[in-house]
Amino acid sequence: MKTPMRMLLAGSMLAIPAQAFAAPVDVTLWHMEQPPHRVERIQMLIDEFNAANPDITVSQEPQNWGEIYAKAPAALATGTGPDMLFAIPDFAPILKEMGALTSVADFVSELDADHDFVDSTVEAYSYDDGVWAVPLYNMTLNLWYRKSVFEEAGISVPTSWDEWRAAAETLTADGRFGMGLPANKQLYTDQTVYSVMVNGGASELYNADGTLRFDNPETVAAYDFYNSMMEFSPPDATSWTWGEAEACFASASCGMVMQFTVISTYENQAEGDAADLGVAAIPTRDGSDDNATIAYANAVMLLSQEDAEREASKAFIRFLLEPENYGRFLNMEPGLFMPVTADGAEAESFWNDPVVQEYRDQIETVIANGQNGRLFGFTSGRVFPAIAAISAQNVLAETLQSVVVSDMEPAEAVTAGQARMEDLSR
Amino acid sequence: MKRTLGWNLALAAGLGFFVALVGLPFWWVVSGSFKLPREIIARVPTMFPQSFTWQHYDKLLSSSDYGTYLVNSLFVSGLSAVLTLLLAIPAGYAFFRLEFRGRETWYRVILLAYAFPSIVVLIPLFTMFAKAGLVDTRLALIIVNVAFALPFAIWMLRSFFGSIPREIEEAARLDGGPPLTVLRRIMIPLTAPGIAAVAIFAFVTSWTEYVFASVMILSDAKRTIPVGFSGIIGQYQVDWGLLLAGASLAILPVVIVFALIGRWFVTGLTEGAVK
Repeated sequence: MKTPMRMLLAGSMLAIPAQAFAAPVDVTLWHMEQPPHRVERIQMLIDEFNAANPDITVSQEPQNWGEIYAKAPAALATGTGPDMLFAIPDFAPILKEMGALTSVADFVSELDADHDFVDSTVEAYSYDDGVWAVPLYNMTLNLWYRKSVFEEAGISVPTSWDEWRAAAETLTADGRFGMGLPANKQLYTDQTVYSVMVNGGASELYNADGTLRFDNPETVAAYDFYNSMMEFSPPDATSWTWGEAEACFASASCGMVMQFTVISTYENQAEGDAADLGVAAIPTRDGSDDNATIAYANAVMLLSQEDAEREASKAFIRFLLEPENYGRFLNMEPGLFMPVTADGAEAESFWNDPVVQEYRDQIETVIANGQNGRLFGFTSGRVFPAIAAISAQNVLAETLQSVVVSDMEPAEAVTAGQARMEDLSR
Repeated sequence: MKRTLGWNLALAAGLGFFVALVGLPFWWVVSGSFKLPREIIARVPTMFPQSFTWQHYDKLLSSSDYGTYLVNSLFVSGLSAVLTLLLAIPAGYAFFRLEFRGRETWYRVILLAYAFPSIVVLIPLFTMFAKAGLVDTRLALIIVNVAFALPFAIWMLRSFFGSIPREIEEAARLDGGPPLTVLRRIMIPLTAPGIAAVAIFAFVTSWTEYVFASVMILSDAKRTIPVGFSGIIGQYQVDWGLLLAGASLAILPVVIVFALIGRWFVTGLTEGAVK
């Protein structure tokens, strides 16, 4: 009897740790990079990570930006949410207000020591005594043009608003529009409007005390200038999103566009010459070289409240930010996603991609433009939760529509825009 | 009364206008899906393709989960249509034939459910389904689709039952047929065109449903065409060829369903309209 009992006991002793520790920790990543080639690239990295970390299993579930604002809170409230979720700065406050986020300040400090984050990307998630997401990649709006078209028209790259308008006017000829600018009540228009505002001295939406300062002469001047440029934009631009603007440029119907990138479409659909593609900083009001642009520091939020899942998520993020992996992660869409770390910006894995090599000059310019990246409502540490509602309602774009579509005077529209922001902030 | 030449010309012009209005976008999408990318985005669009390629379809089916989305949509829409019919036929017949208290009131009340904006109930339904373990299941979509298609289906079918001459039904009942037998043997065969119309209505409604499918389904492998496809085409960068190929393929099952039972559909609509 004794031997079988001992064997049973010994067996059970062995079995307990096996059940407690051998089962891999499953973590789910939700991201909004749905095009198949991006999903494939992320899966490739996940597979490598899972193979190197048999105690962790990461899986991905691509989601859509269109629904995530409603879907993520609902899923988290019912316990069906992910462990990691990609974010942009104005999405994070929504989940933070729900109590779904725990500060990752210590983790970001650790990663910063290893990789050196671009400061503005961390700042976008730093408020209320915490850091609420880990920056992953940057997207900045730039001015894209064709060098040959500029040469043919005898114009140089504009640096001031006056030059920009003159260039658009010159390029508007023979069925071509000088400047493709959107005026839709949509995020793309928010981005282009703010990129003009930020170069006209109107980068701050808030005063330091949290009151709104949208209604000021600089903002009015920016809207006035933007409206004057609409004369050189296609008539359907009032319903444009990113795709239409990019197609307008790719087909050479637009002389210039403001975009995060046009490289992929220019290369694959327009079969353009890399040497002919020009990119520049967005012109400033007075022609100074203090150019700025809108920058979206995309990041990942850690949502799991369980230690094991949280640690597993951190391990995966560490893996992604390692220079040998990070470039491959960014190049899921070559030319669109820019590094947020110093070692990432020098990583061979980033620069070795064939498309990145072909468009190296343009990408270096995009990275340089991103150094002075700003995002409305997330500047100078003046971050207030109401910005999420203002952003979700596209108030910057709505104000532009009042000017462009409803023929309202810019000053009147900006005053109405601030009133709308105040309503949404209540 | 003989129509004048002017009338005929005006009718033909009017007809041509509406055919072009409906047909041209379809032609644009389908023909564009076979063009090379450069031609798709050309500054001057071409009505007839100057190039031909399968590359967009090849990319769509080989490098995306479009096939999975298609199968999911067929499963959800097919089952939603069948369940809608199974519930709407007896309910429509009951509203037509059975005498019960508040029949007319209930008949009008159920239509209110059809007029209810789905977005209003989205989050409460999500919470309920999460408690029932139905989130991220195709069953959740089927339940929602049936719930939203059922009121209009019942309303339509009652009209179709009402178009059957009363004498035919009475003759069957005099022969001793109980209501269910009369329904199965007499009424259903006679209202087959109407049932086909309701089936197509339920199928197409489910096929194009986006709001619930986008929120209730969490995993990629269970997505339906409208939601899965919107992700494939991208946000910042649009692959126009992929978009056109996906849109062309997405309408194919609906075209096939119409081709198979379309004649019944038209007959059914006419019979339902003229009592």
